[in-house]
Amino acid sequence: MLPRIGIVSNEFAAVAVDVDAAANSPRLRLEDRRTGRVRYLDALELETLVWLPEGNLRQLLDPSADRWRDG
Amino acid sequence: MSPSYDELIRSDRVHGSLYTSPEIFADELARIWYSSWVYVGHVSEIANPGDYVRKNIGPQDVIMSRSADGEVHLLLNRCAHRGNLVCEADAGNSSSFRCPYHGWTYRNSGELLGYPFPEGYGGRGKLDLGLGRVPRMAVHQGFVFGSFAPDGISLAEHLGDAAGEIDRLVHLSPEGEIEISAGWLKHRARANWKLLAENETDGYHPQFVHASIFSVAESGIGALYSEKSEAVTRAFGHGHSENDLRPEFRRLGTPLGWFGTTEERMPDYVAAMRGAYGEAAQEILVEGAPHVMIFPNLFIAEIQMFTIQPLAHDLTVQHVTAVQLKGAPEMNRRMLQQCVGSVGPAGLLLADDTEMYERNQVGVAELRPEWLDVRRGAHREYVDERGLTVGGATDETAMRGFWSHYRDVMA
Repeated sequence: MLPRIGIVSNEFAAVAVDVDAAANSPRLRLEDRRTGRVRYLDALELETLVWLPEGNLRQLLDPSADRWRDG
Repeated sequence: MSPSYDELIRSDRVHGSLYTSPEIFADELARIWYSSWVYVGHVSEIANPGDYVRKNIGPQDVIMSRSADGEVHLLLNRCAHRGNLVCEADAGNSSSFRCPYHGWTYRNSGELLGYPFPEGYGGRGKLDLGLGRVPRMAVHQGFVFGSFAPDGISLAEHLGDAAGEIDRLVHLSPEGEIEISAGWLKHRARANWKLLAENETDGYHPQFVHASIFSVAESGIGALYSEKSEAVTRAFGHGHSENDLRPEFRRLGTPLGWFGTTEERMPDYVAAMRGAYGEAAQEILVEGAPHVMIFPNLFIAEIQMFTIQPLAHDLTVQHVTAVQLKGAPEMNRRMLQQCVGSVGPAGLLLADDTEMYERNQVGVAELRPEWLDVRRGAHREYVDERGLTVGGATDETAMRGFWSHYRDVMA
């Protein structure tokens, strides 16, 4: 694993950011510091995020979109 | 029932109860702090989209934020669900704010974005709620003011001629902008906010209260506030006032003399100023920075900026920071050092003032005599070419202007 890039944090969330070199191409390793949950994002997924319309990101920020949905 | 403010405020004296009465403080919140224009923050404190800072209008906790479209917002820091504080940090960067109590989430422009487990409300997007908003906001030279009154005079009308003093400050930057980036110190004073506001342009006290810092720093500032000084005190109307020290600095005629230094010691800054302003730079560099109190809470003391936050009739927080001039790193280092030396935790200036505020608060509660005297220099005041009332360097012209406006808005 490459050195940690850093921790992106504010009072609402804290996420540790690394570039992981263990796979066949480098990928971003994101760790939610409050829960320990980890997600990897590959280059194409990151590019998708860069191009994601603001409104789509906004929908994802709705706490009921996934993490705290009903049922 | 409110007291009769005409009875309590006379042309030459004001009643002690104005500083000690919780009922009068409640009146002030309603009629001044939640009705007129109040300084909140500076746009440079939220330079990037997503930036936010916690500010205040009196006891009200205000979030000043910048949304992705670049717009500035003044929001009340209160979740629309159960009223919890949404933001706790003094500053941060986030496109959205999530209340820690039940996870309600807002855009940094105040709209409710969503809430957990929405079926409890009949589904998503069912609530017509959001963060509260300060009804009016206006900006002058990057200084952001808010008003809880939905209607009323414009900020330009409120500032009047005092706006020119803010303009003078920003013109000390070769880029014409100041930056509030040095961080804030907070000093709590067990005193009524008006004791602070009146003191800011009281030219009578420096030679006594600040004798030690003038002595240690071998400063000539004390002499500017003497009977021999050609400096003046000016009331701008709307409660604003200044100590105009320019007559003394013009007499001196030395660029940066107002800052206690010389052109030779600040070559990069002076070159940048002359490059930016041409011949006008000479006057700007000689006349220096303003010393102005903008009613009710913004005090620009040449190189530092204060905001006054009243919390109770006998409790006030002074927020203070060093002014930083865009494009002037040479000046900024010195301004920061001087700020720390005068109003930092071990500073020699504000500690002395605060000692006076707290002694004053105890003193005014004594039963006799009931009044505070504000007549100094009334007999030698005059009206200048702008129609503004002017007194001598040590006269109480500014206090009388403050109380005249106070009586108008409280009546």
